[in-house]
Amino acid sequence: MTERHLRSTPTDGYATPTSHIQAATEQILRSHLPSASEANQGPVLQKNIHLQYLLRNLVQGFPERYTSQDASQPWLIFWTLQGFSVLGVGLDDQTKKRAIETLLALQHPEGGFGGGPGQAAHLLPTYAAVCALAIVGRPGEGGGWEVIDRQKMYKFFMSLKQQDGSFLVMHHGEVDMRGIYCLITVATMLNMLTPELLAGVPEFIASCQTYEGGFGNASFPGWVFEEDDPERDGSSTDSFNPSSPRPPLGEAHGGYTFCATATWVLLQPYLRLYYPSSAPAINRSALLRWLTQMQGIPAEIGGFRGRTNKLVDGCYSWWVGGCVVLAETLLGIGLGGDRRPEERGKGEEHAGEDGWDDVDDSLFDRRALQEYILYAGQHPAGGLRDKPPKPSDSYHTLYCLSGLSAAQHRVIPHDARRAEVLASWRGDIAKEKKCAGLAAPSGDGEILENLRREIFLDTLSWSEEEGTVKYVGGSGNRVNATHPLFNLTVTHSEAIMAYFYGQTLPVRKPHHAASTPPTGK
Amino acid sequence: MNPIAPIFYTEEYKDATDYFRGIVKSGETSSRVLELTEHIIRMNPAHYSAWQYRYKTLLALHSPLDEELRLMDALAIQFLKTYQVWHHRRLLLTALNSVPAAEAELAFIRRAVAVDTKNYYTPGRTDKELLEADVRNNSAWHHRFFVVFQSGVRKGDEDRELVLRRELAFTKEKIALAPNNPSAWNYLRGILEYTKTPFSTITTFVEPYASTSRSSTAEQEIVIDLENPYLRKEGGASTMKAVEIWRSLANVHDTVRKKYWEHRIKDALSSIQK
Repeated sequence: MTERHLRSTPTDGYATPTSHIQAATEQILRSHLPSASEANQGPVLQKNIHLQYLLRNLVQGFPERYTSQDASQPWLIFWTLQGFSVLGVGLDDQTKKRAIETLLALQHPEGGFGGGPGQAAHLLPTYAAVCALAIVGRPGEGGGWEVIDRQKMYKFFMSLKQQDGSFLVMHHGEVDMRGIYCLITVATMLNMLTPELLAGVPEFIASCQTYEGGFGNASFPGWVFEEDDPERDGSSTDSFNPSSPRPPLGEAHGGYTFCATATWVLLQPYLRLYYPSSAPAINRSALLRWLTQMQGIPAEIGGFRGRTNKLVDGCYSWWVGGCVVLAETLLGIGLGGDRRPEERGKGEEHAGEDGWDDVDDSLFDRRALQEYILYAGQHPAGGLRDKPPKPSDSYHTLYCLSGLSAAQHRVIPHDARRAEVLASWRGDIAKEKKCAGLAAPSGDGEILENLRREIFLDTLSWSEEEGTVKYVGGSGNRVNATHPLFNLTVTHSEAIMAYFYGQTLPVRKPHHAASTPPTGK
Repeated sequence: MNPIAPIFYTEEYKDATDYFRGIVKSGETSSRVLELTEHIIRMNPAHYSAWQYRYKTLLALHSPLDEELRLMDALAIQFLKTYQVWHHRRLLLTALNSVPAAEAELAFIRRAVAVDTKNYYTPGRTDKELLEADVRNNSAWHHRFFVVFQSGVRKGDEDRELVLRRELAFTKEKIALAPNNPSAWNYLRGILEYTKTPFSTITTFVEPYASTSRSSTAEQEIVIDLENPYLRKEGGASTMKAVEIWRSLANVHDTVRKKYWEHRIKDALSSIQK
């Protein structure tokens, strides 16, 4: 890190509140960079104090100020459990059992999960609870998975469906892109997808992309702007016109952009099979540009911001940094097929500060992002944070660690893995194992069977690209790879999906074992 | 059961939420429920179940919803950034379905926004005022795009050519004021794409910002594809000019995005080979 890289964001001699706070932030960030003499050692991920932080939250609990998270208890649990997973630490059986019991107590009698005991079902805690159960649960009695009531959950999901393809986050709730991601992810993992559930979702997502290229929170249903239409008869019990304009609501934002993009990737099999022609589209190049635009300059240590002209924040390491590979995948960039064999394996030996050799096709600065997390994201007392001098918290601890993971590991869809999974696919069992009693009006014909298979294959073909790991500060800073769509390890993603689709997955060959630590660790 | 990751609530909060669980179980809807849910919301406005149950109770009791709105005014100011606060108001207004209530709401939002100009869920001041206060306010730029292009045609704005010229002039003026402002450049690109206006129409404006020979490197950082007019012209020579600028971004001026700019170069070169 040399001085010439640290030019401040120019203010053009025209200061405004935004440029003031930007300059102040850059000054603080600069002070967290190592001096020239320290720089040689490289940053250290303080795994022990972060593990202690996670353990304290898990075992002792959260202080009173977390009362604001009372309606997000499955999130507190997911953030903590997944933090352990990313740091490569497994939990003992007793802790897993307690976690399963705690989570199942949040399942609502009418389907879905609530944010706490006795709270109403809501899409966001439903996702967090299912992902947490993916980490601690297992097949069989007491394992938690078999008592997830998918039939009621499906009814709950369908009861939230809106005419424009979106979903409310809860009864009497609002439409929110995060809720769409949570619902589609859970329905994917638990073998609950039907054309009825997915109807209109692609159109809704496409309508939320803004002129900047990222995605906003939701879009206005078209009828909002037709109130003065003389053709209408005044009764607003309406026929929804899907072709009327649906402008995005809210500016392009990192969290919503991740949710929209990940859902869009998950929807690819549905788009392939159910839209033989004229499928809805998003502007993928604009998305990629917006994502890369969000990475901060060296004076911001290469962290990511969540909106144009806002400050960098450690959590966007995952929501935006982790989203770049999804956009690349949609564009077909660097999917590994064209890499020459002689280039493979080159990266691993160049983990230090020098000799950094970019052999991968990742389109963001993986080294800079790692530096932000390691230099600015770690709180000296444990846990990770938005930026200095803020305290650490449960949310930022996970999303900084996941972002670090996304910057260290390049996990992409692999044709070879896809072929292996396909060879072992048992469509008859997957059909039998679908959400019980889920009688789709359109029936369960061949096309739905194909959808089920394609979703399973698409989702579980993601593997780490060989020879592309990068560890700023050395391999002692290694964290586990995560599945870019779920933020679970590939191992956990495979286990829960194999269970709910009734499949036995072929053992991963060593060259794409995405979540196994390197030998010698 | 011995739950993991518990939160250490105050006794007051614990008592109130225990009581609330009991009420949800029994299905009670009474004025007592309104008191209780207000109490919980004041301690934790993110308690979505309390909001949801409060709304159901208001409807069940046929409570006057305009009074509920006034009660919620103070809460909205206090918890300006809490989603539930605003969603509750929206539900009430939808149920009321009255013009005076909607007018009162607009007046209220103006007061509320005066408290915090950057909260993008609550637009009230005009985007022009907000951009005069801070030309880097991206929420205001986004809102402007919505108002001008995506929410129907306003009175006086029927001539869309005129609207486009006005927006181009407005944006160029703001860019000249502070060129290192990605919000303004994104807006410029946005309106050109939305109106399907060829990028070449602004070449003369953009060119000075895209020059690799500029002595100040500052503006280079935001000189990206739109701001790079050469790409949009026909022919290989202009593509090579674009590539030259991208190289300077990748290697000198915007090294964080090195891989992205190299991707753009590769993309452009492969498309001229086709």
